[in-house]
Amino acid sequence: MEPRKSALPRPAFDRRALLRNAALLGISVPALSTLLQACADSPTGTGPGGGSPTEALKIASPDNPVTWDIADDNQPIADGLQPEKGPLLLYNYADYIGPAVVKSFEEKYAVDVKISTFNDTDEALTKIRTGAVPFDIYFPSYDQIARMVTAKLVRPLNHSYIGNLGNVWPTFANPWYDGEARYSVPYSVYTTGVGWRTDLVPDDIAALENPYDSLWNPDYRGKVGIIDDWHTAMAMVALRSGVTDVNSENPADLEIIQQALTELSQATKPKVTVSMYNDLPSGQLGISQMWSGDVVNAQYYLPGGQSVDILRYWFPEDGTGLVDNDLMLILSGGKNPVLAHLFLEHMLEEKTSLKNFGYIGYQPPQNALDTDRLVADGYLPENLATAAVREEWFDVAYRLLELTIENDAAWHQVWQQFKAGA
Amino acid sequence: MTLATLPSTEGPSGQPAPASRQPRGGRLLGPLLAMPGIVWLLLFFVAPLYVVLAVVFGGVDPIFRTVIPVWNPVLWSSDQPIYVLTHIVGDDGIFGPALLRTAVYVFTASVLCLFIAFPIAYYVARLSGRWKGLLLTLLIAPFWISYMMRMLAWVNLLANDGIVNRIISMGGLLPDDTEWLSGKSVVVILGLVYGYVPYMIIPLYAGLDRLPSELIEGARDLGANRFSAFWRVTWPMSRPVVIASVLLTCLPMLGDYFTSDLLSGSPSTSMVGNLINNTVLTPGQTGQAGAFVLLVLIVSLVPMLYYVRSVSRSDGAAI
Repeated sequence: MEPRKSALPRPAFDRRALLRNAALLGISVPALSTLLQACADSPTGTGPGGGSPTEALKIASPDNPVTWDIADDNQPIADGLQPEKGPLLLYNYADYIGPAVVKSFEEKYAVDVKISTFNDTDEALTKIRTGAVPFDIYFPSYDQIARMVTAKLVRPLNHSYIGNLGNVWPTFANPWYDGEARYSVPYSVYTTGVGWRTDLVPDDIAALENPYDSLWNPDYRGKVGIIDDWHTAMAMVALRSGVTDVNSENPADLEIIQQALTELSQATKPKVTVSMYNDLPSGQLGISQMWSGDVVNAQYYLPGGQSVDILRYWFPEDGTGLVDNDLMLILSGGKNPVLAHLFLEHMLEEKTSLKNFGYIGYQPPQNALDTDRLVADGYLPENLATAAVREEWFDVAYRLLELTIENDAAWHQVWQQFKAGA
Repeated sequence: MTLATLPSTEGPSGQPAPASRQPRGGRLLGPLLAMPGIVWLLLFFVAPLYVVLAVVFGGVDPIFRTVIPVWNPVLWSSDQPIYVLTHIVGDDGIFGPALLRTAVYVFTASVLCLFIAFPIAYYVARLSGRWKGLLLTLLIAPFWISYMMRMLAWVNLLANDGIVNRIISMGGLLPDDTEWLSGKSVVVILGLVYGYVPYMIIPLYAGLDRLPSELIEGARDLGANRFSAFWRVTWPMSRPVVIASVLLTCLPMLGDYFTSDLLSGSPSTSMVGNLINNTVLTPGQTGQAGAFVLLVLIVSLVPMLYYVRSVSRSDGAAI
């Protein structure tokens, strides 16, 4: 059939015009880009990693403790103020605070507490900085505190409201990342090790010469999990490869980590997730890098009739692994600073703290908690006694530190490559 | 091939017909009717696109390494898009595998969707008779449940001890230890097919339902058998709607990330959507997420232009 000539006018562009315009665009865009570059007084663009003034950021470490200054325009609240009427806004990981302890605070002060959740602290910090929601209390790890104090996002504490700070391990009354606890109080302590199910993983992982190697074992392909947190995961990879500086600035170390991550991908195709507390008990994972709190939690996610005896957790007995602690910070953008102080006091109270431990599985650094009696007191099943966190480990373990701007970019780049499945 | 009779602009004598009398205010009516669409496009397409450009070509906060949009194009920096473009192929080609994977997944899933959707839509539109209403309702039914909920349902079904493995095992006759959710490309592709096939069936149905049956009957009257009538009449007529349906499904697939996240979770099945999701909130990498968005946009424009061209050639016969 002969196509009938269209009665409609021709479209505004034809093939020739399209090609001509595309060619012009192709020529002009680089030229325009060059022109813009020449004209640009790029305010902050400094390459894919970005950033420059590392000297503006003090990096705390156990060898280089830092006591943060208190700025004139970001002073602590005065003593003896009446609490605000709320609602108190908490910004936390999902399922990382017990509903009962929140409820008891609400009843005690006749206020509402609202909880918003984030998936990781990078995301959280980005949202906090927008100031869109005036969160009162934030629950990060200690590795963001330099940035937050420098940007005055966090409010200095008035210790007169927080007498229960005396209940925590002495190391947290004057921690190296926040001298005199001017800005933070501890929330939980945890180790990062390897969790597994004895029914899916027959080897005794704890008895292996290098238990981290089990995550590279091709026999467990499809059953392996890695924590979806760049620093925690890469630090484990570093330790497995014999690199004990888990904050290394040496490109050769990063090269080793990158190579090991590639080998990991090829050997076991690990699932990169933060839901191993559910995936391990459900049988989707047989073995996984895990936080101690998550393996404690995993017992509550086992299918009905499945014994908790199948769960195991390994962390170096001498404490030479990764230990961490999370914090509670009062944000300067919050509208309830007095109420926020009272909430910190509430959470550091011995009974509240232990009740919260029972819900979230993450151990509070409370003096009242006898680490040797966690099994006897019913906080841990006997087969997960290795998930107990000991105070003395904080003197010998490896700590994930805040990295310099340039180093942070380099580490993120390696992680980005791994996550892209390259 | 022209299939629709278009209104002629010529009078019976071949002279241009006198312009029909326009109602009062007719000159303003067109722009007025177009105004909501133009405002919509400006607010929800042009403005967001400019924000993406300001992010892609913007700066990075020196302390937090979060993105700082730069609104003045004179100050734009092309560091981030150049970084992305120079890391696609070669020794530094860290993004290449994910981009290639996306192309393969989306192409395979789109073809599978078409093979599934076309016969279904054809049957419902042309052969289902009095069952048409019921079948149409059933076709729309998947839209009542969100995409994510449907994917989460598959997570349960495909779990190691899920129903799929139990059915496969047939009481122990076949191995039932397939780990479906452990980074298998085929599971992600089938997930995409399952998730997006309704989006193909509905427009296909709408197009096929409107095909003039007289032409098909005419072909049969002139001696064509069923296959020949389909191949020489129905298929060419339905081509624009097929292209539109494939576009409607493959464009959202290009940006999909949670199918891979939920049904795999392994970097070995990462798609470009995962690259965007991973970088958008990572300090110092937000501009790269924007660059990936632009990359997807540019890639999407090619089939879109083909579609526009194809429809304008067929004089808007279908759709």
